[in-house]
Amino acid sequence: MKETAKQIKDKFFELGVDIPIGDIEERLDKLVTKFKVPMDEARRSVINYFLKEHNMDRSDYFAGQGEQQPQGESPQMNTADILEADRWVSLRGKIVQLWDNTHESISQVGLIGDETGTIKFTKWQNAELPDVEEGKCYQFMNVMSKEWNGRINIDLNKNSSIEDLDEDIDIDVQGPSTESPQVNTADITEADRWVSLRGKIVQLWDNDHESISQVGLIGDESGTIKFTNWQSAELPDVEEGKCYLFSNVVSNEWNDKIQINLNKNSSIEEIDEDIEVGNSSVTFTGALVDIQSGSGLIKRCPECNRALTKGACTEHGKVEGLYDLRIKAIMDDGIVTQEALLNRELTEQVGEMTLDDAIAMAADALDQAVVLDLIKKKLVGKYYTVTGPKLDRYILVDSIEQESQVDIALVDDLLTEVEVA
Amino acid sequence: MAGYFREVAKRIFAQEFRESNLTFKDGDDQYAPQYLLTPTAAKVNRMFIVGTLTEKEDIGTDSEYWRGRVSDPTGSFLVYAGQYQPEAAQILVECETPAFVAIVGKQSTYTTAEGDVLTSVRPESIQVVDGNTRDLWVLDTAKQTLDRINSLKDDENDTVKAVEHYDTDAEHYRVMVKQALESLKENQ
Repeated sequence: MKETAKQIKDKFFELGVDIPIGDIEERLDKLVTKFKVPMDEARRSVINYFLKEHNMDRSDYFAGQGEQQPQGESPQMNTADILEADRWVSLRGKIVQLWDNTHESISQVGLIGDETGTIKFTKWQNAELPDVEEGKCYQFMNVMSKEWNGRINIDLNKNSSIEDLDEDIDIDVQGPSTESPQVNTADITEADRWVSLRGKIVQLWDNDHESISQVGLIGDESGTIKFTNWQSAELPDVEEGKCYLFSNVVSNEWNDKIQINLNKNSSIEEIDEDIEVGNSSVTFTGALVDIQSGSGLIKRCPECNRALTKGACTEHGKVEGLYDLRIKAIMDDGIVTQEALLNRELTEQVGEMTLDDAIAMAADALDQAVVLDLIKKKLVGKYYTVTGPKLDRYILVDSIEQESQVDIALVDDLLTEVEVA
Repeated sequence: MAGYFREVAKRIFAQEFRESNLTFKDGDDQYAPQYLLTPTAAKVNRMFIVGTLTEKEDIGTDSEYWRGRVSDPTGSFLVYAGQYQPEAAQILVECETPAFVAIVGKQSTYTTAEGDVLTSVRPESIQVVDGNTRDLWVLDTAKQTLDRINSLKDDENDTVKAVEHYDTDAEHYRVMVKQALESLKENQ
C-alpha cells in the first residue's frame, strides 16, 4: 500500500501538485481496509479523488506518462507545421473563433489561425490563463499538441502562457478568402472543410443553447445533414421548407457524425427553386435486444415538445407535461447494433395499446413504468424489420414488422452450403 | 479513444458455447470487457439466445439465485440470475417450464479445480417468446455460425488465435449447423 501511495504522490508531484503522502495513505487504507475495496480499484478511486480535488483532468494524469514538462523554451511553429501529438510548441496566431464549451473543466475552446492555416485549441480551466478574445492576436508559449479523433489540436495548460500581440496576423482559413466549393450533402464526409451547399431546410429543431441561433437539417438530392447556425454568425433565420444556398460553411465532426456550422464567414441566400430532398431511408432486420429508459409512457413539455425528466423540461423547468408514447429500441443483428426510434403511432401499433390505454394502465398501477414493462415483455427478444430515415444514431422508424415464419428456402440454401463445403 | 459502444449480441449454438474456453480482455483496464473466443472465432461478450427453458432451480443459499437450463438444437446453455439481475431472475421465478425464452446476456466463465472452463450466461433480460422466434434464432445462428466457419482460413487476428487454440475442426461445426438446420425442417 505504501508503494501505491508513493507512486500516486510522485505522479501528482510530476504534474505540479504536492499532496501529503499521509493524505493518500489514509484514503487508500480506508478504502482497502474498511470498505474492502480491491487495491486496483482503491488506487483508481484515490487518483480520481485527488484529480477532482485539484480540478485536474484524467487525461492530464494518464497522458504522456511523465513528459509533461517542457524542456526549456518550446520551438516556435506555424499551425500548419504542428503535425505530431504530444509536442511542446509555441505559436503566434489570431483567435479566429471561440466556440461554446460545455465542459466545466474547459475555460475556452476555439480556433487559432495564422498565415498557414488554423488549429483548434483548448484552454483548460486549471491552466489559469487569461481569456483570449476573438479577432485578437496572441503569442502562445509552451502549449501541447494533442491528437483527438485523428486530428491535431493544441492544449493550453499550466505550463503555457499567453501574451497579447500588437500586430494583425493574416490568417489563412482555407477557403473564405476564395469561394469554397459547392458540394452535395452526401459528399461532406470530412471535418474542417469549407464548403458551400444548396438545400432545403427539412427540419428546424428546438435548440437549447443561447449561443445557437438555429439548428436543424438541410437536405438536397443526396441526403440530409445537420446544420448549426451560431448566434455569433449574425446570419438571417431560415424557414422550414424553403431552399437556400449556404456559402462558406465549415464541416465538423461531433459524436462520429459530420455536420456543418454557419459562422461569421458564412452567408445564407434564399434561392427560388424547389429541391427534392433525397430519401435516405434504411432498413434493418435484427433482434430487438433492449429498450432504453425514456421509452413507454412519457411526458413532453407543452412549449417545446421535449421529453420531461422528473416532470421538468431542460428549457422550461417544471411544466404540466403532455402524455406521449414512444420507444427507443436497440436492435442487433449479431454484426452491429442499431438504435431505432418509434413514435406514438407505431408504439400503439406494436404495443397493442392506445395512448389512453397506457394512461389508464399507469393510473391503475400508480406507476408509469408498468407501460414500459409491458412493452418490453411484448417486444424484447423478438425479430423485427424496421424502415425509416437514419438520423445520427437512430433510425426514425416509419414502419416496423415482426419477422414472420422461417424462410424454408433459406434453410435449404444453407443446408446445401453446409454439405458442399 | 473510440468512446462508448454497445457490445453486439453474438449468436452461437450451445454446443459451440460449451466447447469454448478461451477468455481474454481487450487491454489492461480493469473495466475492459471480457471476451470469450469460440472455436469458430466468435468474439463474445454479449450474446443473444432463444431456446427452451427446460429446468429452473433456486440454488441460492442466503438470497435467491436461479439457475436455468436453456436448450437449443445442439445442446444447452446454463443461465444464472441472482439479486443483481432482478428482472431476469423474476422471470425465471414466474416462468413455467418448458417455455421458449429469449435471453440477452453476457457470457461468463468459471474454472473448476481441475482446470476445466465452464461457460454460462448471465442474463440482462429474459422474455418468454413464441416458437416462431425460436426458429428464427436457429436459422439466424446457423447462418452466422456458417459464415464464421467459412472464414476460418482468414488471417484475421481473432480467427488465427481461435484456430491455433482449439485446432478447430470445421467439419465438426458444419455437422452441428446441419443438425440445427435439419431440426427446422422436422418442425414443418
